Amino acid sequence: MTISMHLTAQEERILGGEEGHGRQKAMELLVALGDIYGAGRLIPISSAQISGASFKTIGDAGIRFLEDFSEHAKVSVRASLNPLGMDTKRWKDMGVSSEFRSKQDRIVRAYASLGVEPLYTCTPYLSGNRPRRGQHIAWAESSATVFANSYLGALTNREGGPSALAAAIIGKTAEYGLHLPANRVPRIRIDIEHIPDGLVPLAGYVVGKVSGKRVPYLHGLQLTADEHKAFGAAMAATGAVSMYEFTAPGDKRVVDISTIEEKVCLNGSELRTQADKLKGDESWDLVAIGCPHCSANEIRAMAKYLKHRTPTKDSDVWFCTSRKVHASCPKEVATLRKFGKVLCDTCMVVAPIESMYKRTASDSGKAMVYLPTLGKQRASFRPRTELMEAISR
Amino acid sequence: MRLSGRKIRGGSASGKAIVCACPISFLGGIDPLTGKILDEECECKGQSVSGRIFCFPFGKGSTVGSYSLYQLRLNKKAPLAIINSSAEPIVATGAIIAEVPMVDGIDVSLLRTGDRISVNADEGSVDLNVVEKHVVTCIVRNGARILLLQRSNKVGSYRGHWAGVSGFVENGETDETAARREMREEIGREKARLAKHLETQCFRDGEVIWCVHPFLFDVKDRRVRTDWEHQAVEWIDPDEVKRYTTVPGLSSIVSKLL
Repeated sequence: MTISMHLTAQEERILGGEEGHGRQKAMELLVALGDIYGAGRLIPISSAQISGASFKTIGDAGIRFLEDFSEHAKVSVRASLNPLGMDTKRWKDMGVSSEFRSKQDRIVRAYASLGVEPLYTCTPYLSGNRPRRGQHIAWAESSATVFANSYLGALTNREGGPSALAAAIIGKTAEYGLHLPANRVPRIRIDIEHIPDGLVPLAGYVVGKVSGKRVPYLHGLQLTADEHKAFGAAMAATGAVSMYEFTAPGDKRVVDISTIEEKVCLNGSELRTQADKLKGDESWDLVAIGCPHCSANEIRAMAKYLKHRTPTKDSDVWFCTSRKVHASCPKEVATLRKFGKVLCDTCMVVAPIESMYKRTASDSGKAMVYLPTLGKQRASFRPRTELMEAISR
Repeated sequence: MRLSGRKIRGGSASGKAIVCACPISFLGGIDPLTGKILDEECECKGQSVSGRIFCFPFGKGSTVGSYSLYQLRLNKKAPLAIINSSAEPIVATGAIIAEVPMVDGIDVSLLRTGDRISVNADEGSVDLNVVEKHVVTCIVRNGARILLLQRSNKVGSYRGHWAGVSGFVENGETDETAARREMREEIGREKARLAKHLETQCFRDGEVIWCVHPFLFDVKDRRVRTDWEHQAVEWIDPDEVKRYTTVPGLSSIVSKLL
């Protein structure tokens, strides 16, 4: 019953250990996963995105592995890293303990020695690691994976941390799943009549639940790039598939719908019902924005609204973004600072939030999945405009 | 007996098995310092996987579990080898980075804690100190009813249990020849129409693995001439099988055949 992937002579040499222990282990991992998923061969990738960067998520076990592995291996294609458990500069201000910080630093050093780019963001495509249409990549981080597949037109499976790292080291990944056109065709059509203001993340939340493992096709989906980011992140958090197909109104592109097995209609009132279900508390310890990390446009829009208002200080506020975006809009960041902490390198999902807060509000559909589980929070969903109103007057 | 599966991570190991019927999460499910199973729902809770051939259906839970298996290895508490029914990426990744031999494609319900097992992961094979016995089981159907026979007190095994027409596959015999021979010997049927033949089903009972070759025969009437091996016969509605004390696996064979 053993059906194995075809390997080139060079790949066989790596598997045989002729290019060192680290590359051998990475190749073993790619081959084993390829065999499990029935891949025929390895294909070159143009970039990797690696998850498993926060001490909170990978723990002491992860540190031990990364430290050992980093002695024997280096990435061979562009590879960037997911958010850490803390802002590398303002960790104390966040309330992170020095013990957590020293463990986090060991992870940072290990990834640096592996040659992984320290972007520390779930939106690498906003920080320079942006694949082109048709490129094969090996990305972990479900929200980035779904954005890359659906909006950017790159091809990737939802990798785990170690498999993305192995792919980055070899520069290849096993050809299965969403690398194959046949698996990228839509199986379910979901028509959303109208998405009420601020509920785009919840539309993604519901689409993920309805789709399960099937690629959904959304007809007439009129969203900005930032809205696609929030929509896909929520979809990948509630669903098992990392891709959706869509056409915008007036789009001339024709999508092959011959593979559609089911058609579902979602209306605005269903989304409002879902919003009510996730409403949670009326007051919070923390308002957390930026899951996925805020883009420069989002930071500018929030700053524009908040500019002439004053903070209510009813709760702490986190605006989470990447170091690069942060550096690109200093004036707006200064405005946001009056209302809360503008954090880089981390977010509410992977920071040790459970040791700081109990009740957190967010406008993110993805955060509604992870705050109650990974973060042990009582989570409350609110559209961003409502959160802006709540933190200012 | 030798079971054949698929290599996930190469290497070989021999030792005593620890077998869990439930899926395993290495993160939180197993203590990285001692190798003890912590999962409340696992029947092996409190036992250690360290130095054992660790058998479970498949992995579950956090992807950090891969690293947890690595940590077990560093603490010298890793299992000698891992046997899964179907590998998933978390455990496979863990086995590779922790360098633990691993095989999948093995029906772990055939294994028992305490079995002595040799794993040759490079070949994907698993040898265990248990005897395999090949038998045929023929379900005989007439209309909507099937024939059950109660085994007599003179037979060597499962006395008083209800069964189909069954018996050992003898040396040099194909399973279909054995099935037709048993039909003739046990119920006096020379002619019966073979309606279905399933692939071998294996069941563990004590120190024996029964490899059952299931057949479905149609007969035109309900005449039955039994021999010394049986003390009673009944034509029953197939749904009633569960109400009888049967030989192992009979009701699953009946539902697969019909």
